[in-house]
Amino acid sequence: MQREIPVEQIDEVRFRIPRDAAHGMRTDVIVYASARLMEHIRRDLSLQQAMNVAMLPGIVGHSLAMPDIHQGYGFPIGGVAAMDWKDGVVSPGGVGFDINCGVRLVRTSLTAREVQPKIHELVNQCFRDVPCGTGGAGPVRINNEQLEHVLVHGSRWAVENGYGEPRDAEFTEQGGCLEEADAAAVSARAKERGRPQLGTVGSGNHFLEIQLVDEVHDEAAARAMGIGAGQVCVLIHCGSRGLGHQVCTDYLAHMGAAMQKYGITVPDRQLACVPIHSPEGRAYLGAMRASANFAWANRQVIQHFLRGALRKVFGDGVHADLIYDVCHNIAKREQHLVDGERRDVLVHRKGATRAFPPGHAELPAAYEHTGQPVLVPGSMGTASWILVGAAGAMKETVGSVCHGAGRLMSRTAARKGRNAREVREALEQKGIIVRSETRDGITEEVPEAYKDVDEVIEVVHRAGLARKVARLRPMGVIKG
Amino acid sequence: MFEILEHTADIGFRARGRTLQELFESAAEALISIALDPENVQPVQRYTVEAQGEDREALLVNWLSEVLFLYDGRRIAMRRFRVLEMTPGRVRGEALGEPFDPARHHAKLIVKAVTYHQLRVEKDAAGWFADVYLDV
Repeated sequence: MQREIPVEQIDEVRFRIPRDAAHGMRTDVIVYASARLMEHIRRDLSLQQAMNVAMLPGIVGHSLAMPDIHQGYGFPIGGVAAMDWKDGVVSPGGVGFDINCGVRLVRTSLTAREVQPKIHELVNQCFRDVPCGTGGAGPVRINNEQLEHVLVHGSRWAVENGYGEPRDAEFTEQGGCLEEADAAAVSARAKERGRPQLGTVGSGNHFLEIQLVDEVHDEAAARAMGIGAGQVCVLIHCGSRGLGHQVCTDYLAHMGAAMQKYGITVPDRQLACVPIHSPEGRAYLGAMRASANFAWANRQVIQHFLRGALRKVFGDGVHADLIYDVCHNIAKREQHLVDGERRDVLVHRKGATRAFPPGHAELPAAYEHTGQPVLVPGSMGTASWILVGAAGAMKETVGSVCHGAGRLMSRTAARKGRNAREVREALEQKGIIVRSETRDGITEEVPEAYKDVDEVIEVVHRAGLARKVARLRPMGVIKG
Repeated sequence: MFEILEHTADIGFRARGRTLQELFESAAEALISIALDPENVQPVQRYTVEAQGEDREALLVNWLSEVLFLYDGRRIAMRRFRVLEMTPGRVRGEALGEPFDPARHHAKLIVKAVTYHQLRVEKDAAGWFADVYLDV
């Protein structure tokens, strides 16, 4: 059914789909991948989706696809596109339903040797203190007025209300708060849906994982992040929960109806978009920023409860400091050099991470010489990586890089022939303890359902978009 | 009446109905059965579900999004659905269920949203069918 897409190999890690491959494409698609990953990528609709993105009005540079790319809704997951700030469009599909889904990595003052004997206890404590939210409300009770503050102030709200330390916000992308968030642009239903979910992880591929630093590839950068081999870290992967999902749903409905007014047609309804400076575009961006702030507050609150769990198991002397927090579903106004010209753009990162290089003005002083930490979780039971942004990302990918391993297998295929107990036992044999609120949460996220994260990392490292700092491997997982 | 469809990252379903009304009812049941196990849900209370949409596809997506809001936003466990009134562009119906109780109700997957991805609402010899993908 699917027609052959013309893909040219540029070099070992780059492929191109030329703009004349389909009517309506305004620019080329550049895919970062190895030949082997490319074979997987060709099997689903992700390349067609990256071509559809190349058709959006106002796209600047190329439609970019990272090596973890897989089929999404509208945009592929692992897709990046910059739109001209003056004349371009904003597309909720370029951000996704989980606005500011992201990753936070916390280093503990514990070693794997100290944690190992108590790993069951720690996993159980975290499971009690950090709910996934499948069964009900989260641990934080806020009223509508407090929610408004969360939407405007993000991580800063959490820190000021006792859910963290000032240093935490500093080590969060954008200080954990996007300016110009518009709480009034978030519907009453989005607020109603999200309010009780603050402080919950969610389900699907979201999780909290206890990890140990397995390999250090860049000693200096690892030192700047305060980590060394054998040290225990905790990775938190989640987003804006029902609040962000509802905001995206609401605005897709508005935009679907409004597009006609602006004379925009798109090849896929899920790509609905409007001019950035239209009333609908401005309202969406205000609501999206508010949702992003909710997500940062959410991860900050979760870190707070993680701190509590660590202290209950290991005593009050345990430290849990934030290494960094990055978002991988977002649209941000940034300035980039495109074809030698400085351009004001709206960068859509859908399943992609910002990757600013050393010396960038937006980095905390601690990372001035290393570059921005990029946190790439693997699948349940496989390695995760810490990278740092490199100069290549600014030249080629509007300061962006991959965000994960990328799925290979559908959820139903992953469940087939597996039961949760067997999967749990197989992981335990590898020394990984898993607790899940649901049975399907375990079988659907089996490691075999994902691409090899090491291969994904190798591509971005070789392409010069980011550099390897350390590889982490899991000891315990908590999921929805 | 429905069956589950595959998607690399997420999940979908094909729902069927003799009439468009029936199709909307079975699509809502499919959605809810992915989010929770309807087995222990008592259909003792009625909840109104209303939606509008510029065409059939938008109407179905908005109807299902309302059902999802009732579940994830209002924490209502649902089991059966009835469409009471349908005109082009508008649908009104009710869901039968009860407030979600974590002690009795078994949640399966958190559904984030109903998408337009490869959405189809069509008629064949057997009646109406719809393919719908959910972001989970």
